[in-house]
Amino acid sequence: MDYMTVANSPFIYIVSGLIVAYVVLLCVIYLRNGLKRARALGIGSDTLRRTIRTAATFSVAPSLPIVVALIAMMGIMGLPYPWMRLSIIGSFQYELTTAKIGASAMGVEQLSTASSPQVFANSIWIMSLGIIWGMLMSVLFMKKFSHGLDQAKKKDQTKLQLIITALYFGMLSVFVGPPIVQGGIGLLTLLVSAGLFFLLTKLLQHRPRSVWTDFIFTFSMVGGMIFAVAYQWLF
Amino acid sequence: MQSIHRLGRISLIIMLLLVISAPLAISIYFDIFPPLTPFLNGLFQAVMIYLPISVAEFFTFVPILGPGGSYLAFVTGNLTNLKIPAAVVTMDQAGVKSGTEEGEVIAQIAVAVSSLVTISVVFLGLLLVLPLKPVLTAPSLQPAFDNILPALFGALAAHFFTKTPKLAVVPLLASIVLAAIVIYGLKLNFSSIQGVLIPILGGLSVWSALIFYKRGWITKSDLGESS
Repeated sequence: MDYMTVANSPFIYIVSGLIVAYVVLLCVIYLRNGLKRARALGIGSDTLRRTIRTAATFSVAPSLPIVVALIAMMGIMGLPYPWMRLSIIGSFQYELTTAKIGASAMGVEQLSTASSPQVFANSIWIMSLGIIWGMLMSVLFMKKFSHGLDQAKKKDQTKLQLIITALYFGMLSVFVGPPIVQGGIGLLTLLVSAGLFFLLTKLLQHRPRSVWTDFIFTFSMVGGMIFAVAYQWLF
Repeated sequence: MQSIHRLGRISLIIMLLLVISAPLAISIYFDIFPPLTPFLNGLFQAVMIYLPISVAEFFTFVPILGPGGSYLAFVTGNLTNLKIPAAVVTMDQAGVKSGTEEGEVIAQIAVAVSSLVTISVVFLGLLLVLPLKPVLTAPSLQPAFDNILPALFGALAAHFFTKTPKLAVVPLLASIVLAAIVIYGLKLNFSSIQGVLIPILGGLSVWSALIFYKRGWITKSDLGESS
């Protein structure tokens, strides 16, 4: 049996489909659990509705590159396994890197349809086992770490708040510095997105309860992406 | 609070078993076990790269998301480009903060909804892969996908950095200096080491914030808390 027949076989669709179905079930359970806890804390239905609407609309555009990644991977890993992997834990960069590590460990420099099914097997094993650490650490240490954070909060809430905000700012900075340094279309997209955010916020400042306020981030982000296409087209 | 850890542990142990069962089932069904030495070699390489990143991510992201959102986010992935932004934006909108019970619950809901949307979009992509392929891979659309991170983080930085500007100065300047060194000095592709830089800049940002706090340059009111 050749490589692609294995990679696109109905059996792999079934295995991958079962895992994706389990993750969907988990999302529904966590959502219901979150809503129940939120109501117990006295968070109103309006806030919860807005949270769901914002999280949903905000997530559509950044999900599209994952479909592009699926298309890029289908030629070397078939469709079902990358579909499952990209639907859950991994990012495109991780999945492609580990698939290549798996192939090169078998002495194959370029994953292709000419590779053997064993090369495919090595790649899927390494894709699957190489990034279990976040889950493993959560099982082993989450309770202890959360307890530690609760204790820190009791001691000095402002300090903990400061640390969390600083951690988030560190992450944001990682993505803001490179376009500033590189300039060009990346920097312009960053500025357009930021500018749109300020403009939309200003336009809606007298209507804080308007439904449009839930879409400010989404519109700014999509506006930045549209600008990037237009810029490339014009220049 | 106890119940979320119970749910988290049970659901992730099952997930870990499923993740390991998938290649196992495929290898048994097709009788294609990889030879042991190349498997261990490849696994070692992958672990050397991703274990340190995962450890740093755990300590960076759990304080932001709280336990409920984190358990699910470590299953569904795409933390920096989807789950963290979705959680932080919805917490901000709801007027709650990370590290509080209300914040944790909103983050958990946001991570669950964001994951469902991504899974649905990718599933649609799978179903429509043939008609979508020419559209999504059209050269004219590539700039949109190539620049999705500046488009996403431009708006996020505009909002959060201007809200607490004192905390933004050090990580932002450090990021610019590091990016210049990595891109022009070391001539590396910046995106290939982003995972490593998140905990480095996070650590630097926390360190500087604590100094500012100790010296009284940052107070409760800078963080939007009532003094």
